[in-house]
Amino acid sequence: MNILHMLFEILIFPGFAFVLFTALFFHWLDRKLIARFQGRIGPPWYQPVADLIKLFSKEDILPVGTNEVFATLLPLVSFAFVMTASFYLPFAVPTTQSFEGDIIVVIFLLSMPSLLYFLAGWITSGVYSILGGNRSLLQYFSYEVLFLLAISGTVITSGSWSLAGIRSAQLTSGSYFLPQLLGFFLTVSGLIGKLKRDPYDIPKAKSEMVAGPLTEFSGKKLGLWQLTNQLQTVVGLSFLVHTYFGGYWQMGTVGGFFTFYLLLILLQCLLSAISAIYARFRIDQLIRLNWYALIPLALIHNLFLVLK
Amino acid sequence: MEKNKAILPNILTWARKKSPWILHFNSGGCNGCDIELLSLLTPSYDIERFGILNEASPRHADILVCTGPVTEQVRPRLKRIYDQIPEPKWVLAVGSCSCSGGVFSGAYNILGGIDKLLPVDMYVPGCPCRPETIIDGIIKLVESIQ
Repeated sequence: MNILHMLFEILIFPGFAFVLFTALFFHWLDRKLIARFQGRIGPPWYQPVADLIKLFSKEDILPVGTNEVFATLLPLVSFAFVMTASFYLPFAVPTTQSFEGDIIVVIFLLSMPSLLYFLAGWITSGVYSILGGNRSLLQYFSYEVLFLLAISGTVITSGSWSLAGIRSAQLTSGSYFLPQLLGFFLTVSGLIGKLKRDPYDIPKAKSEMVAGPLTEFSGKKLGLWQLTNQLQTVVGLSFLVHTYFGGYWQMGTVGGFFTFYLLLILLQCLLSAISAIYARFRIDQLIRLNWYALIPLALIHNLFLVLK
Repeated sequence: MEKNKAILPNILTWARKKSPWILHFNSGGCNGCDIELLSLLTPSYDIERFGILNEASPRHADILVCTGPVTEQVRPRLKRIYDQIPEPKWVLAVGSCSCSGGVFSGAYNILGGIDKLLPVDMYVPGCPCRPETIIDGIIKLVESIQ
């Protein structure tokens, strides 16, 4: 019975199936919101499902000279990384044992897909793929530092390197969202770079790079890459909820779950609004903005938190 | 068992009908149809409500939307782009030149309409054709998917 319960938790709720459903729902929400912000109507609710089924049923072709095994493994492995990260960020009830330092594990699991994304561009050996891969790596060295610095603000205040520790510290002191508003927005900026959304969609800018590293991918592999990105959005957002809005835990299992989901939807609205408002940066503008403005700001913010 | 066999193709057909991604290619026209085609992405027409996305890579696309006649210079490139689209794929000819060669037919450097080179599934005539007509053409093509 216990094993059945565990399997249910891993495979259906709040595990695999539920996280996938949430990812598809949030992808639709994102596209619909951006369309509404731009005065368009937007896609119907079943759009991500139809896209996914269509991509999985299409012919799978690769350019001559591409390593077939690598091209198949890369999207699978990056999907596995993001899926594993989702198990550390429970929706309502903790499924995995939280340990000291699991926040580092989650950050590692969330940053690996970016490296694999670069490799995907490198092995398919198209001009656009390699250029897109290089850009994604350049971008990686700016937003990843910012993300780590900004998220460590919550670690400094709570004095714990575990997600459970950060959550329980917020139960007593209240959520970190308002006291650390600056840190929150810096984290969101890092997260946008991680998800390669507007205005940080430099590696896959359609008007310059075709589709970046994914130019030569088709069919199932493209579907998996897109699913990974959609999953990464949800996992990244729930990471934000855990670190900055941890106080929802005291509302019980059902209330906590709905509060959590509502917060996720609100954060997705924030990301969509940012995407609709801002135009794409150039790669040099992005790196200058990150290293000259945002990262020093994050350092000063952390210094204040330490001194306080 | 028989029923199960029928359900899967139905789902596939449904998915293909609901998410046709287009690739736009100008094979030698005057850009009139291209301007009309790109206005489909604007708020006035918004083809995303039908699930249609304008993709930039042929490997992501389902429907090749061609404008203009086929010039001799673009002929091998058009063939190559068509070959790069994964199956199942469809071709939509937009504009009079694309359907028949239009005013360019008979010129020494023109092969003719798209159907001289590729199997065309739907023709959208007009010089240039209005965005409503192009949407109508895409929808009729999508409805004909079996």
